[in-house]
Amino acid sequence: MKRIFTLTLFVMFALQNFAQETFPVNGTADPRHTIYAFKNAVIHTDYKTSVQSATLLIQDGKILSSGAGITIPANAVVFDLKGKHIYPSLIDIFSDYGMADVKKPENDPNPQFISKTKGAYNWNQAVKAEYDAYRNFTADGKKAEELRKMGFGTVMSLSRDGIVRGSSTVVMLGDERENEMIIRDRAASNFSFNKGSSSQDYPSSLMGSIALLRQTYYDADWYTKGGYKEEYNISLDAFNKNKNLPQIFEAGDKQNVLRAVKIGSEFGVNYIIKSDGDEFERIEEIKNAGAALIVPLTFPDGYDFSDPYEAVNVSLHQMKYWELAPTNPGVLASKNISFALTAADLKNKTDFWKNLRKAIENGLTEEDALKALTFTPAALLKLDDKIGALKNNMLANFIITSTNISNKDNQIFENWVNGKRYQIADPILGDVRGNYSLTIDNLKPMRIKIGGEINSPEAFLFEDTTGAKISFLRQGSILTFQMELKKSEPKGNYRLTGDASTQNWNGNVLLPTAEWGKWSMKLDSAFIPPVPKADSIKKESPKGVVYFPNMAYGWKELPKAKTYLITNATVWTNEKDGILKNTDVLIENGKIKQIGKNLVAPAGCEVTDGTNLHVTPGIIDEHSHIAVSHSVNEGTQSSSAEVRIGDVVDADDVQIYRQLAGGVTTSHLLHGSANAIGGQTQLIKLRWGQPAEKLKFEGAPGFIKFALGENVKQSNWGDNQVTRFPQTRMGVEQVYWDYFTRASIYNAKRSLVTVSADQQSIPVRRDLDLDALVEIMKGKRFITCHSYVQSEINMLMHVADSFGFKVNTFTHILEGYKVADKMKAHGVSGASTFSDWWAYKFEVYEAIPYNGPIMHKVGLNVSYNSDDAEMARRLNQEAAKAVMYGGVSEEEAFKFVTLNPAKMLHVDDRTGSLKVGKDGDVVVWNDNPLSIYAKPLQTYVDGIKYFDIKQDEILRKEITAEKARLMQKMADAKNKGESTQKPVFKALELKHCNDSELFMPH
Amino acid sequence: MKKTLYIILLAFSISANAQRPDPAPAQSQRILIMNATAHLGNGKVIENSAIGFEKGKLTLVGDATLIRLDKSKYDKVIDAQGKHVYPGLIACNTTLGLTEIDMVRSTVDNNEVGTMNPNVRSIIAYNSDSRVTPTVRSNGILLAQVVPSGGIISGQSSVVQLDGWNWEDAAYKTDEGIHLNWPRMYVYKGGNSEPEDVQRNKIQKNLNDLQLYFDEAKAFAQNASTVSSANLGANSKLTEDQNLKFESMRGLFNGTKTLYVHCSYVKEIISAVALADKFGFRLVIVGGTDAYRVTDLLKSKNVAVILGRTHSLPPREDDDIDLPYKLPSILAKAGITYTVSTDGSWQARNLSFNAGTSAAYGLSKEEALMSITLNAAKILGINATAGSLEEGKDATLIVSDGDVLDMRTNHVVNAFISGREINLDNIQKQLNQTYETKYGIK
Repeated sequence: MKRIFTLTLFVMFALQNFAQETFPVNGTADPRHTIYAFKNAVIHTDYKTSVQSATLLIQDGKILSSGAGITIPANAVVFDLKGKHIYPSLIDIFSDYGMADVKKPENDPNPQFISKTKGAYNWNQAVKAEYDAYRNFTADGKKAEELRKMGFGTVMSLSRDGIVRGSSTVVMLGDERENEMIIRDRAASNFSFNKGSSSQDYPSSLMGSIALLRQTYYDADWYTKGGYKEEYNISLDAFNKNKNLPQIFEAGDKQNVLRAVKIGSEFGVNYIIKSDGDEFERIEEIKNAGAALIVPLTFPDGYDFSDPYEAVNVSLHQMKYWELAPTNPGVLASKNISFALTAADLKNKTDFWKNLRKAIENGLTEEDALKALTFTPAALLKLDDKIGALKNNMLANFIITSTNISNKDNQIFENWVNGKRYQIADPILGDVRGNYSLTIDNLKPMRIKIGGEINSPEAFLFEDTTGAKISFLRQGSILTFQMELKKSEPKGNYRLTGDASTQNWNGNVLLPTAEWGKWSMKLDSAFIPPVPKADSIKKESPKGVVYFPNMAYGWKELPKAKTYLITNATVWTNEKDGILKNTDVLIENGKIKQIGKNLVAPAGCEVTDGTNLHVTPGIIDEHSHIAVSHSVNEGTQSSSAEVRIGDVVDADDVQIYRQLAGGVTTSHLLHGSANAIGGQTQLIKLRWGQPAEKLKFEGAPGFIKFALGENVKQSNWGDNQVTRFPQTRMGVEQVYWDYFTRASIYNAKRSLVTVSADQQSIPVRRDLDLDALVEIMKGKRFITCHSYVQSEINMLMHVADSFGFKVNTFTHILEGYKVADKMKAHGVSGASTFSDWWAYKFEVYEAIPYNGPIMHKVGLNVSYNSDDAEMARRLNQEAAKAVMYGGVSEEEAFKFVTLNPAKMLHVDDRTGSLKVGKDGDVVVWNDNPLSIYAKPLQTYVDGIKYFDIKQDEILRKEITAEKARLMQKMADAKNKGESTQKPVFKALELKHCNDSELFMPH
Repeated sequence: MKKTLYIILLAFSISANAQRPDPAPAQSQRILIMNATAHLGNGKVIENSAIGFEKGKLTLVGDATLIRLDKSKYDKVIDAQGKHVYPGLIACNTTLGLTEIDMVRSTVDNNEVGTMNPNVRSIIAYNSDSRVTPTVRSNGILLAQVVPSGGIISGQSSVVQLDGWNWEDAAYKTDEGIHLNWPRMYVYKGGNSEPEDVQRNKIQKNLNDLQLYFDEAKAFAQNASTVSSANLGANSKLTEDQNLKFESMRGLFNGTKTLYVHCSYVKEIISAVALADKFGFRLVIVGGTDAYRVTDLLKSKNVAVILGRTHSLPPREDDDIDLPYKLPSILAKAGITYTVSTDGSWQARNLSFNAGTSAAYGLSKEEALMSITLNAAKILGINATAGSLEEGKDATLIVSDGDVLDMRTNHVVNAFISGREINLDNIQKQLNQTYETKYGIK
């Protein structure tokens, strides 16, 4: 009985192990259950364990056992791998292998508001949760071979198309049927910020992508909680089904990685994030974000600086990035960040090993490299019981190599996939480089040198002392040489062919006479890698450090708050004290500590002699578009209240530094003016060097951008943009009525359900767009409205009155002077205008430089803004125009760019004037700040000196020196044969509120 | 059609309540301005000046404390104690009178279709009744170069004085130069940029094409069988060789016209200099952000530069943050004749402040002033009669309460063009008055 049981068990076990097929056999069945044994190898059973003289046994695509002291069964086919290594084959979990190419969206100039995908799918064409890679996977022999040559055995294939991309699949890289190759059908759920082939207009911006994704999470949640009773939605259904898979997000650069993490934290998702490889530039934030990464090995080529006038177009950032990018994997490992490496994004797949070794030369250990290519990718997909190591019962996916993978001369001989052998290089030949003596018939022996790279050897013939390159090919053990003899008779072409399987090579030769002869070749001395002369070995010069941000004017070390005393200056307080002469200002712990005469400098305090200098509060720009990644407009719909500039703050914008140098300390980053209801704004302080999240003005109330007039009705967008509602100012009013009406109903419904939730009711879908409008009506979010002519200003105030809220700020407001009394009666908090702009479009034909002064005299709180990175650098001069045109006092005029905007932004308790206890946002000027001759000498934000004109001089010299160092280094690299790229001028992106894909003025 | 009518009606309704000020009649009175600080535009300052002019010309520019003055020689004496007198400011490279409202196509006349339009003339489209011009004038700009744009060769510019009944009246120097937008010579990466190799090939091709165009224009100019422009029109000698475009370029080869090359990048500047050198053109670079890299070349070839706005951003991330502010000073120290300009039309009213910034970054105030007065006149070839306060020159000058370079104190109170006292009113001042009255805040 017991025996029967054991036997049955054995049979069942054996059957289970044998592959079974559904496909019919054409001909005679040819089952193979051979056991293969690989002995005497160095076996790397996993990324951190290697066993000398070990044995690997495999059968039916699986590993039977591996390690030392394994008995080889008698029926095994044995390979003696003495001196060779066996590694688990590599895994790439970010591949497009076997996937169709992503189509480019059709270029249709007409607007497309909803998806063109036919069927019961999502409203947005970029949400394709229903896509399953495994249903669309088709094995691709050529690509599989390319990947196998690189050492890969398994990849995760995904469709890199869309914002919600559906599921990806894990496949092996053998040449068998797809049915055999898929090892995990739905392996991960995939996301990105890029709408890919979607031809739909929305989203057109990064912040729009973020909003769409967030909305989709809420929609999916609603769908599963009852929404499915109202509509059938294949995409949302699939979205929910994919929720328990690993979630992979192709984010992009370091700031996008952090943005993805932020989305994840809102929905309790820990994304595995595909990055661009620049994480080292913000490594602490990346570390703290805690996400596992998928990291490419794309390192930029150095620049070819042979044309110095092209060289001037390469930025320090590009140069520093070139130098430091190869350190990225090593830096990630040293910070214990979990990451997988990917060959994705490599233009040239053959760069994979070159770049991996570069990463190893730059601080990545072999163990960490191996981990990132085997264990980590497997573990991230919860496949580490199947792939990524060589342990019992795991898949027989491994590579046989000549030596350690980090070795420059390592060769991959074989790549076994699913227990099937794929030969890559002929192990019999191995390294053929060396010096040989060649004998042809009775000719005098000649010297042949075989050098070059191990995998692409080159042969040279020496008839005397000079060598000539000759053609040299090998196929298996068949060798062919072709050479022209010039010194020996008969002269002419000799074609040699022979056998390389023996120690001495020999064979037949076709002589120039068309007769056949004999040849043989003997190895005199093996290849010795050339040892550079001691004095010519330039040890690689030390690398530069990462700047914050990693570009010109970045910090080597972020500045910290100190105690500062500025003495004997003219102090513009913006308080009832007015302008104080011969006064001292003490800044301590980030705040203004004291203002007065003859203050005592505390110990360790940095003192600036302010004699003949002016000290003012920092300038506040109510309307700015600096420091925003990608577009400032999500102008594809009449309302984009769901998008948030705060999601896309760009901490690496040099304009932050330039504006500090113009005395700006706070900027209100606005959405553009492409639609009636724009996006949510972000107030930042210009803490140059800090990451995006730390630029945000803590505790500042939320705002949203509205816009009226020509931009909104698309007057100047060209002839194709004539179908989006509204096209007139009449329509603009109705957009507001419509949205606020819907928001009111939505709010009522949502409040109701919250109170009396019962199991039967379908929850009210959370709508991020309407949420923002509800906030406005509840007084929790303020409006700053782009506006020009009196009719529309009047209109919006009526809309606001009708829905019970106030328009906080009218921005631009160039005809504000015509309705200043009405604005005052409505109770606007501020009118933020240009000093003297006009005539750039019809709605500003009656704009006048007296606008600010008139509104001021009527009693409105007036500010001047820039809407322009250039003008923001000299807003103090714009304020002076209120003096010149309107006779406003200097003290009041300067408030136009300091205290007044602080008031309309509701942060005047923190900034905008020099008052004890307020933030240390302070500027020191060499002259009256309203004068054209005035320059900021120092700018403090939160009591930290972020700009100092003397430090700026030093920085310029350092920038020059750092560029010189890197140019030399690039020239050295070029001389060593590294590939280069030619400089390309990348214009700085300057944004205005008009910027979108379509041209539109202010 | 309906749309057009609507715009015309609107324009009409505006003009009904806000007329541009009437042009001033010729100077009939002899005028003396006393005691002002006179900034002559040539770098000199007279603290207590006496400036006299009659029949449109300056007859006296002197130091009131040093000369004997016969006030009876003057019909009108203006005591300008505490005030400042300057030559009328000269704005180069503007579209004044060509564009009224940038985004309203029907009011835009500066950009002709086609790539090679050397024969189109800006003076023809100059609208002397523009509402924009008086707002520029009231900040002290009295002469302007009116420049066409677009294509590779945009057409010919003229210099106008900013107070006239019509373009003939306004013309100060007509068809004085031809404007060439130098084809881009760097490879660019941005929104819709072409592939790198395509761009690189185009750079060479564009240069070759341009060279050939000028070779042909020169051959034309040397062809005796063609009729020069003075004799164009109904002329029995006209042959099939006649070519209006090449004909209009004849002045470049005989030195009567200036070639203005609009470019910024250093290689473009160098190439433009080489082209001008080959044909012996009088060359002015317009824009010229990179001019500071080739000051020796510009100096040795006597090439002048019309810089863009001082109030602009450095073009490259790594540039010195004050690069545009100090460009004038770099060119001045290298001995290059330059001016600053503001681009566009209405923006010209900030011309003096753009110059003022250069005085904060390396220049003296008088040097900064010179850039937009005498230097500009030299560049435009009108310095014999304009650009500085010197006896015998046009009495084209302004009086300000303060420093014309500084918005903190500037306030232009009088302006004269060839002795004619200009009405400094404008539509904006009128609207200001209207609403100050409405609100009772005067």
